[in-house]
Amino acid sequence: MLAPFKILNTNSVSDAVRELARLGDQAKVYGGGTELLILLRHNLLRTDYLLNIKPIAELGEIRGNDKSVRIGASVTHRRLETDVTIRAKLPMLADAEAQVANIRVRGQGTIGGNLCFNDPHSDPATALLVYDASVTVEGPAGARQMPLRQFLRGMYATALEPDELLVSIDVPCLPAEFGSSYMRIHRLQRPTLTVAAAASRRNGGIEDVRLAVGCVGPTALRLTDLEAKLRSGDPKDSPRIIREAKTYLKKTLQPIDDLLGSAEYKIYIAGVLLERALAQALRIVDKKQDGKNG
Amino acid sequence: MAEQTDEMQMLPVRIAVNGETWQGAIPAQETLLEFIRTRLGLTGTKRSCESQVCGACTVLVDEQPISSCNYLACEANGKAVLTIEGLSRNDVLDPLQEAFMRNIGAQCGFCTPGQIMSAKGLLLANPSPTREQITDWLSGNICRCGAYPAIIASVQEAASGLADRSAR
Repeated sequence: MLAPFKILNTNSVSDAVRELARLGDQAKVYGGGTELLILLRHNLLRTDYLLNIKPIAELGEIRGNDKSVRIGASVTHRRLETDVTIRAKLPMLADAEAQVANIRVRGQGTIGGNLCFNDPHSDPATALLVYDASVTVEGPAGARQMPLRQFLRGMYATALEPDELLVSIDVPCLPAEFGSSYMRIHRLQRPTLTVAAAASRRNGGIEDVRLAVGCVGPTALRLTDLEAKLRSGDPKDSPRIIREAKTYLKKTLQPIDDLLGSAEYKIYIAGVLLERALAQALRIVDKKQDGKNG
Repeated sequence: MAEQTDEMQMLPVRIAVNGETWQGAIPAQETLLEFIRTRLGLTGTKRSCESQVCGACTVLVDEQPISSCNYLACEANGKAVLTIEGLSRNDVLDPLQEAFMRNIGAQCGFCTPGQIMSAKGLLLANPSPTREQITDWLSGNICRCGAYPAIIASVQEAASGLADRSAR
């Protein structure tokens, strides 16, 4: 049984922001509610008001153009998994979304809630980091935009101020010559480790590469130093470079021992999945090339 | 179901449960599971993990599977809820129920209502799923007895029965 609360419906972003400023700590933003209701049930959180943002139409929109897709904060995982725009323009995100928890969570939980909760064991954040996604948040002082990597501060922590609302996620499409791949291992519906990779080729070598790892440490991260080492290299050297980056991975990802595995195991698996995801991304590039030539 | 107090926000709702409309006011914090089990006395839907992981409390809301333990009853206002009690019509079992019986798609049976409702949601969305689509969709319904092979066989059989019927 949940402790009593009142539900306040909001009809616009400015409405919601005004209520957040007025009620402060007494209110919590209620979208899909998948994480929020569990916290309330287990008494990890008490709140007087649920600020229902589902009636705000613009938060439920997916709008794409040639270069990027804007995803409203209330869009569910299930929609991101199945939406034609997302599947065509952000296929790796659609793939990651298809693996979130289970069909019930995907039907109810929202991308905005997922990012604001910032559970270290999340699928979408890892994928979105490789797309160089940014977020738009709105507060009493107006809207501000920031890269997702700045938004994701740490375990269950974001750059969102208490009186701010996450409005949308802007996701630039990968350039046409890129291939991308999302891989993970998981137990009990929660990912133990997630890896996203995107890469392009030049003259048989790697031209550009982007890598992200999630679930190992406090928050999903881009591996910029490792990307720099792999960039402009020969793909045959990639497995060695990734294996030699163990110390860097340990320092950057800050793995901990827990029920999902030891820190050492997670670093080992991170290396394995990074290798595989990069190879898969390059295979997709090759396939695109073959398609063009044939 | 919570006792009513002055502080409680009571919300008027109209919910169609298994084809019958329930109308009244419920507390904002009442879950759909509490509404179904305690208020309506429909105890086929099971309470288990209460964390949206196990699937025992699965019901359909407008044909979509949801975890009724982690879904506020007021969200079902104006919608159609289908529980395990609503599957059979005039003592005629749903093809899924028939198939679960024939294939013994259960051992202790506690997860079965959730398995069947989840599968019902799948077959409504996709009447001819592949084995992979079945296992993917049902991966969020945990069976501690490990009856998975028989559960999958049951869903496959119900699906092929549906396909036969529509082909006729």
